[in-house]
Parts: sequence; C-alpha cells; structure tokens
Amino acid sequence: MATTYVKKTLNVAYYQEVHNKLIEAIRSSDPNLPDVAGAVNQLPSLDSHWMEHTSKHAGTLLEKLDIDLKNYKSNSIKESIRRGFDDLGSHYLNMGDLNNALKCYSRARDYCMSPKHLVNMCLNVIKVCVYLGNWSHVLTYVNKAEATGEFAEKEKEGQNQHIITKLKCAAGLAQLATGKYKPAAKNFLQAMVDHCDFPELLSPNNVAVYGGLCALATFTRQELQTHVINSSSFKLLLELEPTIREIVFAFYKSQYGRCLTLLEETRPNLLLDIYLSAHVKKLYAQIRCKALIQYFSPYKLADMVKMADAFNCSVSSLEDELMPLILDGQIQARIDSQNKILHAREIDHRSTTFAKTLAAGREYIHRTKALILRNAVIGNNICVQPPSKNGDHGPNTGNR
Amino acid sequence: MAGNVEDFVNNVRNLTAQGHFSQLCDYMNKSWQVLFKNMCHLDTALEALDLQEHSLGMLYILYVKVSMLTSSNASAEEFEQLFFQYQLFVTQCISSQVQYSTGNFTQMCHIITQELCKRKMAIRGIRSLCIAISKVQTEPSQLTSLHSDLCQLCLDSKCFKPAFPYITVEISDIAKENGWYECKHFLSYYYYSGMIFAALKQYGRALYCFEQAVSCPATVVSHIMVEAYKKYILVRLIVEGEFLSLPKYTSQVITRFVKLFTVEYNELVQAFYTNDPSKINAVVESHTAVFASDKNLGLIKQVVASMQKRNIQRLTKTFLTLSLSDVAARTFLQGPEEAELHLRQMIEDGEIIAYIDQESHMVSFYDDSEKYNTASMFKEIDKQIQNVTELDRKIANLDQNIQVNPMYVQKVKTISTQDEDFDGGLLSTSSSSTSTSSQPLSMLSSTSSRSFNMLSKLMFK
Repeated sequence: MATTYVKKTLNVAYYQEVHNKLIEAIRSSDPNLPDVAGAVNQLPSLDSHWMEHTSKHAGTLLEKLDIDLKNYKSNSIKESIRRGFDDLGSHYLNMGDLNNALKCYSRARDYCMSPKHLVNMCLNVIKVCVYLGNWSHVLTYVNKAEATGEFAEKEKEGQNQHIITKLKCAAGLAQLATGKYKPAAKNFLQAMVDHCDFPELLSPNNVAVYGGLCALATFTRQELQTHVINSSSFKLLLELEPTIREIVFAFYKSQYGRCLTLLEETRPNLLLDIYLSAHVKKLYAQIRCKALIQYFSPYKLADMVKMADAFNCSVSSLEDELMPLILDGQIQARIDSQNKILHAREIDHRSTTFAKTLAAGREYIHRTKALILRNAVIGNNICVQPPSKNGDHGPNTGNR
Repeated sequence: MAGNVEDFVNNVRNLTAQGHFSQLCDYMNKSWQVLFKNMCHLDTALEALDLQEHSLGMLYILYVKVSMLTSSNASAEEFEQLFFQYQLFVTQCISSQVQYSTGNFTQMCHIITQELCKRKMAIRGIRSLCIAISKVQTEPSQLTSLHSDLCQLCLDSKCFKPAFPYITVEISDIAKENGWYECKHFLSYYYYSGMIFAALKQYGRALYCFEQAVSCPATVVSHIMVEAYKKYILVRLIVEGEFLSLPKYTSQVITRFVKLFTVEYNELVQAFYTNDPSKINAVVESHTAVFASDKNLGLIKQVVASMQKRNIQRLTKTFLTLSLSDVAARTFLQGPEEAELHLRQMIEDGEIIAYIDQESHMVSFYDDSEKYNTASMFKEIDKQIQNVTELDRKIANLDQNIQVNPMYVQKVKTISTQDEDFDGGLLSTSSSSTSTSSQPLSMLSSTSSRSFNMLSKLMFK
C-alpha cells in the first residue's frame, strides 16, 4: 500500500527504502505459513521502469525550475523570484529532499513583498521543519508568522482564523515534541474546529487528542473547566474523539478509576501515533499524579484502602506512588502505614519561615564570604595560568 | 674572599643603622653571588650581626644557607643546626624589618617546610611557622603563602589544632610578598584546609574551602583544582545530598574540562541519586583503584553512610508509622534488625525523631519539635544577625573603596559618555577587575539588606 502511495510522488529514494523494508518484513515473518508464502509471490516487484522514469522526470523538472529561477533573478522581479523559489521548494519536497526544500523556502523570504506571502512562506517552512523534526525552528517561524499575521488581521478577519489555527497547531506540536506540555495544551486549545484543515501535519482528531491529554496532564481543575470543558470551540473538537472527551469529563467529575481505565484502553492507540508515542508514558504519569493530588485535596484523613480502590491498584503500590509526591511537596500529607490512613499535614508557617530565614541567612553569609575573598583574589590578580607564564608574575601585583 | 663577606656585613650594619631598608634590600639583591660563593664564611657573618638589630641582613644570609638544602643532600646534623638557627631567627627577628623582604622570608619557610616533610618531622615546624605567619602578616585576616605550608605540616603530622585559628579566620586580603605569592599557594591553602575540615568532619566548612579552590579564576585546569573538585563532589553529597553545579563565577575552563578528569566521580553522583546502596557500592567497587589512589576512600565511605541516613530521613517525611520490615525494604537494608539498629543510632544522634514500638514492630515518626521560641534559639538568631551586619559593613566598605577608586570613576565616566547602544557591550567586555567585581558587590549588598531585614522583622514578631 505504501508503495503505491509513494509512487504518486517523485520520491524515488523513499520508494526504494519502502520496498526493501517490505521484503524484509515478509522474510522475517514465519515463512512456513502458507498465506505468507503466497504473499511473497504476490509481492510487487521493484518497479524499476517507474523508478527510472520518475527520476528522469524529476531531474528535468528540477532543471527547468532552476533555469526559470535564474531567469527571474536576472530580470530581478521579486514576485517571480519568490514564486520560483516556492516552486523549487515544493518540488524538492515531492522528491523527499527535505533539507533542500527548507533552503529554498527560507530563501524565498527575502523576496516576500506582502504579509500574506510572508505568512505563506512561514507555513511552508514550518511544514518542512515538522517533517525534519526541527522543533525549535518551527517555533521561531510560528512567532514570525504571528508577528506578520497580526497586521494582516485587520484586512480580512475571516480567512485569518484559518491561518492562526494552523499556526497554533504547529506551535502546539512543537511544544509537545519538546516536552513542554502546558504551552502545547494552550496552543491546541486555541485551534478552531471549522478552520482546522492542515492535512499535511495533523487532523482535527489529533488536535483533540493532543490538546485533551496535555490539558489533563498540566492544567489545574479550574483551568480545565474554563479552557477545556466550557470552551465552545474545543468542545466541538472533542466531539470528534469521544473517548478523550469521556476521559476529560470523568477526570473532571472525579471518577478517577473510570478515567484511568479509559486511558489504559486508549494507550495502544496513542502509542502508534507518530507525534505522541514518545510522550505517552510521561503524560500518563503526570495525569495519574494529578489525579492522586486532586483526590486527596479535600480530605484531612483518607482511607488508603478506599483510595487504592478508586485508582485500581493495591495499597502498597499506592504507598509507593504517594511517597515521591509527598517528598516533592505536591501532597502535604503523611502515611500512617499501620492503619493505612493518609493524614494531611498541618504546616506551622511560623516554624517553616524561621527555618527558611535561617537557611537564607547561612547561604548569604557563605556567599558574602566568598565574595570578599574573591575581591581579594581579583585584587591580587591571582589566576591559574599555564606554567610557561608563571615565571613573570613579579611585576603584575594588583592593578587597583 | 672573606673580605667580600666582611664588606657585606659592614654595609648591612651601616645601612641598618641609618634605617635605609629599601636601599639595603637593593644592595643585598645585588650581592647574591658574593654570598653564594662564600658559603663557609656565612656562619661567621651571622655571628657578627645582631638578631634584634639586623634582622633583614640575617634573613638574606639564612636564606642563602637554606636554599642550599635543596641542591645538596645535607646530613641530619647539618640540618639540625640550620633548623635551630632558623627557629631562633623566626622567633626573634623584627617583624618591621622582615616586612621589607617577605618574599625571601616566605621562600625560606617554604624550603624548610618541604625539608621537614621529606624528613618526616612535620610536627616540629608548626610552632615556628605560626610565629612566622604573625611576622609576615600585616593584619590577622591577611592570607600569606605560609598558611598553606602550615596546613600542609598539620596534615602531614595529623595534628590539626594549631592550624585551626588560621583556617577559620575570614580572609579579606592576600599578601603580595614582593610578587612571590602564587596561585599555587592560594589553591593549596584552600585544598589543605578543606581536607583538615573534612578530617574533623566539619563538612560545611570543608565544602566552602573546596569551593574556593575550584572557583578560583583560571585559564587552565590545575591538578590541585581537579583534586579539590573531586573532594568537593564527595563533600557536597555528604552535606547536601545532591550535586547541582559550581558557583556561577567559576571559570569556564573548569566547568568545561574538569568533568573529563572525574568520570568515576560523576558515576558516583548518578549512583547516589538512585538512593540504592547496591548501585553505589557497585560503582565504588568497580573504581576502587582510582578512589584509593586519590586517597578518597574514607570520604566515599562517608558518602555511602550519608545516603543510608538520607533514605531513613526521607521516610520520616512521608510516614507517620511504618513497620520495621517496611523500613528495611524501603531503605534497602538487610532485615528488620538492621533497620532497628540504624534507627536507634539516628534517634540517639538526634538526626530523626521517632519511637520504636517493640511489641507491634512499628516505628512512629514525629516532626521536628523545634518551635523557634526558646532562649537559645533567640540567641542563635541574634548571633546570626550580628554576623550578617558585620559582613554587610565589610561589603559597604569594599563598595565604597571601589566607588572612590579613580580607575573605576574614569571607567564609569567613559561608559556614560559613549552611545547607549554600546553600553552593554562595553560593560561585559571590559576586563578591568573594578567594573566586573563591582556589579556583584552592589547586587549582593542589596540582597544583604533584604535578608537582614527579613531576619530583623522576624525578631520583632
């Protein structure tokens, strides 16, 4: 299937790779099974004719575009040069040469005349960068596009929503990939369902899943309510993914057991997702921690047996989970292991302030001492130098 | 031949009598050759001079004699005689005259120190060196190159007490010693004193000393710094249970390259973070040879022990009650008995507050009962505040010194007349010590008043 799809494009190298992988995959599976043996026979043979043809075609096209571009340049019409670069870029992209595509797209920047073109160029670059996995680049171009997009906003409101959504999605994706879940969630939540067509990168369903999970993992309960559950635009997105919607609602209604089981059920699906798979584990862990914290927040004493029930786990594993949270100070409580009760701890603010102040004082004294000493050191020009220079230390005794 | 020495003695007498000590120094610096050639007559020359009156002259002669020690293998008897002369000189010489040539004085002491260590009689030099320091210093908070010698002698003889006043004092100035003071002395002083504190288990102070050694300005990495860095890691693990980063002002060379020399120690830090004794023991075992050759095995044992304690202390923060076997399981101990042993020791040392119930085999942990309302705590806080005000005053003084420094004023002037665009660039690139050091100064003094205010506000609660 992949091969036929790839055929539509001009990406010869990729076609070869896919083909090899296919052969390998079939070989590595058990050859004794009859239908696999049949599959080997049915295997589409490497279409060398097509390969030759396309590479030739691509070559001529590239040449043509290159010549065109040179012509434009000699005529120095900016608009045409820009278009030339754009065409060349998309051609490279079709051929699968991402680095060259990026180069062409970003070069077009110098010839952009109107903000619309600039935004367009940014979108192109973002697309290629996402393919390349160059996330920091994505963010910078999103910012750039947003800066130019703003003054274009006044001119045409309607169309702009569309671009903004695209930008938000891209930014969210980049932040998700770099592990900054909270800003990622915020960006995803600003996406509009009506304008969410960004087929090259991600579907509205994806936006719903990513946004929902990131929001669950990082938002406070209140934020969750205002930005996710009561947000009219994101609600529509969530409708596309009923499981995620249910998870979010279960979490909000404090049905943690249900929420967590649903999460476990969707885990294999999410692990297959190209962008999300690396982060599933972290996000899940964060969601679980948050659930624990929220569960305990209204109580002064909590029965750990019931708590373990709510979270579908044993008491001892619950203890293990609670320990790091308590140590991090995320749950102000202590465990009574004898009676299996979780006690909320009352903090004596006066004592802690005293302790903190004393520590700050000690730290200050330490730092100040070091500072005075350093003043003396610098004043005397003491510096570890290579041995060859050590001989002439005589004259340079202090310049102050 | 002897005539030359006689001339020398006469000149010394005349110039000393007239009080031209600088001229005397110049003259004697020129006559090194004469003295070196006439080794056999030096003793007579020494006798001809009076210790109380001609200290400076005698210093030069003695220095020549002592410096011969390194080149020739003097017998024990000769050394004894010379050491006696040295001691006599150090105890009775006139400080004001020696001040004219501290470089030679300290060089002489360095050689004697090396010889004493070589001859395994380090303990004998301690007392005279203490006196020597007092003669060279202009004020007690001044660091001299003799400090490091003293620490070395104390370490070598395992007799730490005499060095104590010298390593606890706050250094605010460094002796120039006619340009003889080298960074080697500075580094080794802090390295040695850190070792002394570590040996006395005063890890907080040891940490401070090692930090100073590591954060000294540098363009290359010295061996002393690498060793100090190793010990700094270990002590930091003992004191704080974590190793984050060096102070910001540490030279870039150090932050960049020192890690390459201390791979084994970084592994140890990583193992420490796992809180699992078996992992840290594995690291220790696999690198025993390295650690032993660095002579850090003792400290590493302390690190392992401190991890054990930290594991238990962590339990007190999360549990109210816990069965002994659970304690053992959670701190990777062998069994309930061992857990009980550790708990008992820590309770006795006041490191945790807990009670063991033998009947049900449960441990109950309690919070720190310190309520900060006792008289002793009040006194302690008062002491801290005084400490801080004292430091604040010092900083203000330093700041004032910089403010009135003509070089600094000029610099500020030139910067303010420049275009504003270049302002930031100039400030960061200017290599002058004045402008770079003044920024943290003013910054810190503002934090100082803040922390001071905080403390004083609390007092009036």
